[in-house]
Amino acid sequence: MIEGREVEFKPGENLIEVAKRAGVEVPYFCYHPGLSVVAQCRMCAVEVGMPGKDGNIQMMPKLQTACSTPPADGMHVKTKTDRVLQNQKSVMEFLLINHPLDCPVCDKSGECDLQDNSYKHGDAHMRTTEERRTYVDLDMGPVIKKNMNRCIHCTRCIRFGDEIAGIREMVAIQRGNNTEITTIDGRDLETEYAGNYADICPTGSLTLKDFRFRKRAWMLKKTQTVCEGCARGCNIELHHESDVIYRTIPVTNMEINKHWICDEGRFNYHYVHDSARVTEPALAKSGALSMTTWKDAILSVRESLKGKKIAVLVGADMTQEEATLLLDLSKQKLGGAPVYQFGTQGVETAAADAAADALLKRKSKTANLHGLEKLGIAPFASLPAGTQAVLLVRGGRAQLPSLSGVQVYGLGVFTRDEAAKFECVLPGQAFAEKAGTIVNFQGVEQKFRRAVTPPRECKSLSETFMMWTNY
Amino acid sequence: MSQSETIFIQHHRDEAKGLDYYLTQMSGYEAAKKALAMTPDAIIDEVKKSNLRGRGGAGFPTGVKWGFIPKQSAKPKYLVCNADESEPGTFKDRDIMRYTPHLLIEGMVIGAHAIGAHHGYIYIRGEYTREAKILNAAIDEAYAKGYLGKNILGSGFDFDLTVHRGAGAYICGEETALLNSLEGKRGEPRVKPPFPAQSGAFAGPTIVNNVETLAAIPHIVTRGGEWFSKLGKIEKSGGTRLVSVSGHVKKPGVYELPAGAMTIRQIIYDVCGGVLGDKKLKAVIPGGSSAPVLTADELDVIYDIEPLMKIGTMLGSAALMVVSEDYCTVKLIKRITKFYAHESCGQCTPCREGCKWMEDILHRIEDGHGREQDLNLLLDIADNIGGKTLCALGDAAAGPVSSFVKKFRADFEAHIRGGKCPSA
Repeated sequence: MIEGREVEFKPGENLIEVAKRAGVEVPYFCYHPGLSVVAQCRMCAVEVGMPGKDGNIQMMPKLQTACSTPPADGMHVKTKTDRVLQNQKSVMEFLLINHPLDCPVCDKSGECDLQDNSYKHGDAHMRTTEERRTYVDLDMGPVIKKNMNRCIHCTRCIRFGDEIAGIREMVAIQRGNNTEITTIDGRDLETEYAGNYADICPTGSLTLKDFRFRKRAWMLKKTQTVCEGCARGCNIELHHESDVIYRTIPVTNMEINKHWICDEGRFNYHYVHDSARVTEPALAKSGALSMTTWKDAILSVRESLKGKKIAVLVGADMTQEEATLLLDLSKQKLGGAPVYQFGTQGVETAAADAAADALLKRKSKTANLHGLEKLGIAPFASLPAGTQAVLLVRGGRAQLPSLSGVQVYGLGVFTRDEAAKFECVLPGQAFAEKAGTIVNFQGVEQKFRRAVTPPRECKSLSETFMMWTNY
Repeated sequence: MSQSETIFIQHHRDEAKGLDYYLTQMSGYEAAKKALAMTPDAIIDEVKKSNLRGRGGAGFPTGVKWGFIPKQSAKPKYLVCNADESEPGTFKDRDIMRYTPHLLIEGMVIGAHAIGAHHGYIYIRGEYTREAKILNAAIDEAYAKGYLGKNILGSGFDFDLTVHRGAGAYICGEETALLNSLEGKRGEPRVKPPFPAQSGAFAGPTIVNNVETLAAIPHIVTRGGEWFSKLGKIEKSGGTRLVSVSGHVKKPGVYELPAGAMTIRQIIYDVCGGVLGDKKLKAVIPGGSSAPVLTADELDVIYDIEPLMKIGTMLGSAALMVVSEDYCTVKLIKRITKFYAHESCGQCTPCREGCKWMEDILHRIEDGHGREQDLNLLLDIADNIGGKTLCALGDAAAGPVSSFVKKFRADFEAHIRGGKCPSA
C-alpha cells in the first residue's frame, strides 16, 4: 500500500520504483536504476509500516530510505507526511549550504535534479550565512569538465566507473565536509564511456566539454532515434535546435543499451555538421570536383554510366529501405549490376561481428550490417573482372573500400577529401536527417528518426532515384 | 563503596600481559578447553543466560547477536573484535589489551567456536601502537602453545587471529565501516540490511564484538552465565562494567563496577573522590562524547543502559566525563561538534553538511558573533540530522548539541548578548 493505493511488486524492486509505477513520486539523488544502492543522499526517506501481530499497522519509528527498502506484502508506505516533507526540506537545505547558486551559467540548469527537487521540495529561504565550501578543480581529460563546488556527493560517478564502465577511476578523497570526488591521483578519465558521467550527475558537477556553454537545455528539441555507431543500435536522443545538433544522450532500453552509450556513439553526430562534408552535387572537372545543379549532375552521371560495366557498393550504414531501393535500381536501371555491402574492415559478415568490449561496443562500426545481410547483399571483397564504374553509396560512417582502376560515382555523405578522386558526388543524408529501419546484432529492427533537415542540396536516396528516372 | 567482585581490574598490572601470568593467575585457556568441548549452541545459551550486553555502546545482548549467525554458510564466517575504541572519553579497552591480552584472545577462540568462524580479526585503533605490539606478542605466544592455529588444544577446531591496525578514523569504530576498512576499502558505513551477521567481512557472516565483551566470555564459560548475570545489579544487564572516568574529577581512570550498582553521583563522589578542586559540578557527559549531557541536578540516576535512556541520554561506552563549574559549556560543545564534523565520513547528506554547519555556528557563538536565532537554528539542524542519517554518527553529533543548547541555554545567550565568553 503506497499512499493508500494497493500496488503489486516484483522481487528485487525497491520502494522508489514501486511508487513510481503507482504514480507516486519519491524524490532522490543518489539512487540510479542502473547502479547499486547506497542510501546516501537521504532524500528518498519515507514512512514505512508493517502489520503487527494484532493486524494494525505499526509504523517504524525512523524514516526509511525508499531506495534501500524492499517492498513486502502488507507493507504500508507514506510519502507525504509532515515528517517526510520536513526531511526532504532539510536535505535540500543541507545540500544547498555549499552549492553555488550559479544556475544561470550552469549547463545543467533546466535538467538538474538538484534544481528540480529544490523547486519542488525545498524552501525558498536560506538560513545559512556561512561561507561556502570551495574546491580547486582539476582537468579530467577531453570529455568531462568537473566543477566540484556543485557536487552533492551522490557518488553515482564512482559507482558508474566501478560497476558499469569496469574501471575504478573516480574516488572520494578526504572525508566529512571536505570530501572531494575526483579521479585517482587527478588523472584523466580513461573509460570510453565517460560521457555517461555527465548524464548521471544529478547536478552540474560533471558536464560534457562538448556541450559546455553551447545551448540552454530548455531550448533543445529532442528526437528519439538510434545510434549508428555500431551494430548494437543503442537508443539515443538527439538534442537539436534550428537544425543544429548539440548533443546525444542515451535513452534507456534494457534489452539493448540499458542506460548507457559509449563516447564514440555520443560524439558521432559531429560529422553531420562537418564543414568538409559535400552538400552540393558535384562533378569532376579537370581533376577536381566542382559544384553543379542536380539536373546537370544526374544527366551527366546517367550519360557517363551508359554502356559501362557497373558494380554497386552499399555501405552497411544505409537503412533497409535504402538498400532495397538500390537493389531495385541496379536491377531496373543499371542492367543488373551486382550489389555488395561494405562497412568495417575485417568485419565483413554478421558472423564476424562480436562484442568489442565488455559493455556495449560491437566490432561492426556500422549500424546495419545484420540488416543488409538479411536482404541477401554479399560482402564486398573485390570487383568482378572488367568492372569499369562503381556506384558507391554510403551514409557517412561506413569505411570506404580502396578502389583503383575504376571510375567512382559517390552517392551519399562524403567529405571533400574522401570524394576527391570521384567522378561525381550526389549528396545524401546522414542518419540524423532521415528515417528508416536498421537491424541490430540481436536482430531487433529499430528506426532512425529525422531530427534535423538535411543541409543545402543533400537529398534522400528515393528523391535522387526519382530524378535519375525522370530527368 | 561496597566490596563487590571484579573480574578484570585486579589483573590490570604490567606483569599480567605474559602467558605465564595468564596460565597461573587467570583462566589460562581452561575456559577455551571447556568451551571447545561444548556445542556452539550450549555456549550461546550460556552467554544468553549471562545477560552480557555489548560493551561497545549499543548494549545489544551478545548471546542473541551470536544466535543471528547462520549455521550453514557458503562463505567463511568471521569473528571481528572491535578494538577501535574511538569514542572520546573511552579508554577501558586499552587497559584490557595492554594488561590482559590473553583474556581477549581466549574470548575470541570461544566466540569463534560458538559461531563457527575460523578466522578472526582484532581491528585495533591506529593510535594504540603499544597495545598492538602487546597483542601481537600475545598472539605469537598463543600460536606457539597451540591456543591458536590448527587443532586448538587437540579439539580439531582451527582458528587464526590477525591484528589489523586502523588509521585513526572515528567512523571505523562503526561496525560496517570497520569491516570496509578491514577489507581495504574506504572506511564508510554500509547500508543495513544486510547486517554483518548475514553479510559482513568479505561478504561472509560476521560477528563484531567489543574488546570488553569478548574478554568477559572466558569468565562466563568458566563460572557460568548465571553467576555472571548476578554480578550485575540491575535487570537485563549482567556482569561488571569498566567505566572510563575523565575530566574534572580527583581520581580519573578506569573503574570496574557491577552493572547498575551505582548512581552517577556515587561514582563521581564516592568512587572518584569528587570534583577536582572541590568545585561545583556543572555537567556530566555519561557515555562518551556522543551521549547527551546531564546537569548537576541529574546525577542521581542509576548508571546503566535503561535508566539513562529513560532520562534522554545513554550509557554508550561507559565513559563518564565530568565538567566543573568554571569550564565553558559553549567551548565544550563546540569542541565536541568539531570532532564529529571532522570525523563524519562524508557519505550521507545530513551528517556531512549538518555537522560542519553546527560547528560553524557554534564557533561563531563562542567567538561572540552569534545571533539570537542561532540557538533555535542549532536545535533545528540537530533535529534534521538526528535519526535521519545512514549510521549513528549523525545521532552522535546531534544529541549533544541539542542537549547542551537546551540545558545550558543561558550560557549560550550570555555569549551572544555579551559578544564574548563571560568567563574569558
